Amino acid sequence: MSTLKKFGRFDRFDFLTYPAVLFVFLLFTWMLAVYVTSSIPAFQREGWNVYFTNVWNASECPDKEYYGILAAIWGSLYTSTIALLVALPLSISYSIFVVDYAPKRLKGILEITSDIMAGLPTIIYGIWGAFFLVPFLKEWVMMPVYNYLSFIPIFSQKPVSGFSFFSAGVLLGIMITPFVSAVVREAYTTIPHTYREAAYSLGLTRYEATKILIGYVKPAMISGTILGFGRAIGETVAVSLVVGNAFNLSADPFSPGYTISSLIATQYGNSFIYTHMTSVLYAAGLFLFLVGLFITLLGMYVLRRWKKNVSI
Amino acid sequence: MYQFDMRRIKEYSFLGVISLLSFFMIFPLFHIIFTVFVDGIGTLVSTGPVFITGTLDDGGIGPAILGTLILSFFASLIGIPIAFAVGVYAYEYPYSVIGKATTALLEITQEFPTILVGLFVTQILVLPMGTYSAIAGAFALAIILMPYVAVYTKEAMSQIPFSFREAAFSLGVTKVKTVFLIIAPIAKRGILTGLLISVAKVAGETAPLLFTAGGLYQTYPDSLTQPVGAIPLLIYTLVQSPSPADHAMAWGASLVLLLIFLAAFIPLRLSIKEVRM
Amino acid sequence: MSESEYAIEVENLNIYYGNNHVIKSINLKIPQKTVFAIMGPSGCGKSTMLRSFNRLLDLNKNVRVNGSVHLFGRDIYTGDMDSVEVRREVGMVFQYPNPFPHLSIYNNIALGLKMNKLVKSDKELDERIEWALKKAGLWEEVKHRLNDYPSGLSGGQRQRLVIARVIAMKPKVIMMDEPTANIDPVGSKKIEDLIFELKKDYTIVLVTHNPAQAARVSDYVAFIYLGELVEAGETGKIFTAPESKLTEKYLTGKLV
Repeated sequence: MSTLKKFGRFDRFDFLTYPAVLFVFLLFTWMLAVYVTSSIPAFQREGWNVYFTNVWNASECPDKEYYGILAAIWGSLYTSTIALLVALPLSISYSIFVVDYAPKRLKGILEITSDIMAGLPTIIYGIWGAFFLVPFLKEWVMMPVYNYLSFIPIFSQKPVSGFSFFSAGVLLGIMITPFVSAVVREAYTTIPHTYREAAYSLGLTRYEATKILIGYVKPAMISGTILGFGRAIGETVAVSLVVGNAFNLSADPFSPGYTISSLIATQYGNSFIYTHMTSVLYAAGLFLFLVGLFITLLGMYVLRRWKKNVSI
Repeated sequence: MYQFDMRRIKEYSFLGVISLLSFFMIFPLFHIIFTVFVDGIGTLVSTGPVFITGTLDDGGIGPAILGTLILSFFASLIGIPIAFAVGVYAYEYPYSVIGKATTALLEITQEFPTILVGLFVTQILVLPMGTYSAIAGAFALAIILMPYVAVYTKEAMSQIPFSFREAAFSLGVTKVKTVFLIIAPIAKRGILTGLLISVAKVAGETAPLLFTAGGLYQTYPDSLTQPVGAIPLLIYTLVQSPSPADHAMAWGASLVLLLIFLAAFIPLRLSIKEVRM
Repeated sequence: MSESEYAIEVENLNIYYGNNHVIKSINLKIPQKTVFAIMGPSGCGKSTMLRSFNRLLDLNKNVRVNGSVHLFGRDIYTGDMDSVEVRREVGMVFQYPNPFPHLSIYNNIALGLKMNKLVKSDKELDERIEWALKKAGLWEEVKHRLNDYPSGLSGGQRQRLVIARVIAMKPKVIMMDEPTANIDPVGSKKIEDLIFELKKDYTIVLVTHNPAQAARVSDYVAFIYLGELVEAGETGKIFTAPESKLTEKYLTGKLV
């Protein structure tokens, strides 16, 4: 008499859980399929120009419609890079400070604060960004830089509103810092105690010891950087409230621009008025989809390879 | 002597720099909380309880609060059972090909841009139904919820010592019953905490609701197949308005959202350390 | 069905963990209603071998088991028994006392009985639980708090609860994997006394790395070293006149 019913290679456990697993895989594939099929009309009409030109001719006459999202792609890369420049020094310092230096109670507070920052609704970053950060940066960073450094070409234009690549980058930097920190901190914590002891026993100061130990987690830092970039590029509402939403292919960080996600957020609602715009926005989504997927896989790969190496 | 002093100077300046940068990292959170409080409390006090209960015409955000509750509830209803099963599967088969692929998929979808989920649901639900709806919004949130719940479930269960599993099997308990009646209940606390943190997270999402839930602020929602509002979505709309009165509303709504979030998140975050047995 | 006089017969047993050959061509016969001790230094494969007797190694996908294990004459790997049936007949007590923390003392024992539908009524369940706790010598200590969680029990009490959990199933064989390794001396003494008591009704297979314990409680003993069976036989004989130099060295503490 058997109480464990078997059906080929599957048992009852598999029958209970496997459909759910299948569902999430199908859902993901379905999502990719929807983006591919919905963007085909745009590719058929414009080819790769959808990605490689900077035009936005929304017209009620379908023949005159023409769209290229190059400015948004540029904006996504630009703002995410600024975000990393903000987030990296903060995350690395924070990780070292929390693991090596902070007294126990402060450590607890710092960790919880970081976790709250990671979970805080992004719209709250958005409203703070739009009403406080943008005016603040304009007054205290953009104007002084323009006043004193305008001989540098990219700073030669007077900042107008403050809504800009720079503001979006800084806000994104603040938002992704807890995520990058989490990766770096976790890696830095896993350094075996003997390495620390060894470093100190050589008569190194804490600074010198840290300098050596931080080299050990470099791949984890790279991975954190990559994943942070992925988060930044996908963030939508907070960015769209501060980036200025303008088709602008400029290197001037203080000028307004678009990102792919903010382009979708601001244009999709009206796109049904036009004949060809919706498909272009799905093509933009497809771009974000594939780039995001690539970045995440790369970040995961680097982290896993590192974990495998250090476990030996 | 000189060299030793250089080392000391380096040591102290290094400590100074990293403490300062660590402070800079967390400072924005405190500034955000402070700002939201200062700018939101006025609206809350001057409007009174109506701010929580009234419709937008009354100067309140009642429909948005109710909308957020409805969306979170139905997102949980759709997402949690599936995610739990997936998490259990990933726990049970950490080394099989499908198990590894499942874990990787969960990590990928956690990093996935949420706006893309919204647009996907628009295409498959909103366009066929011909209207924004609560159910579309809830489905979008459920998709975002699932990887978080699954990962928390998997990790909470993985922390349970292997010997409980052996003990259950050695008593002749089947795999299904061992996993669902022994391991999962032992890991109950960790699973529940993770679940609530995940719900708290998606309740604050904006982007996936943009083209799915639609928004409804003048009346209370009464149907799942009709548009519904949400606090984050309302804030997003109000911030973009040119009117200062709308901005005041946005700050008030942000304060409500922030208080709900902190009240839910902090106790959960504090309790998660006790999960380990 | 013809029942063998041996509770467990092991023939040419080989166990591989991935590429590691951890148990090498072992043959053993464990007589019924005796205490059979398996001793050897830590990490020699004793626990792994024990887990092959109730198919607990099935839980680990990396493990391969070759050879045969017969339970009262029936092959547990290729015969008509499935793993659940095997495990019902072979109870197991673990190195670390592991009553389920989310179940009350009562439910810890009730679990296996209910899942395997071994009792027909609530009354029978109550009786069986009381009987098992009495057999395990724990009844007097817990009879007023059966609905409490096991977290209030001492290590020794928890281990006796685990033993009661096993006895309640009325298995034919009880396997114990270093049952006193994590228990204080007083608690250990009680468990050793209990083992002595239990062998009247059950076959007991005891894994231990402590030769003194094997000498105290067992009738037969097998010495395993680096995955190989060095020698096996009556306890008195092995301890007084071992055939192998290796056994002698181990018993005199020269082999760790």
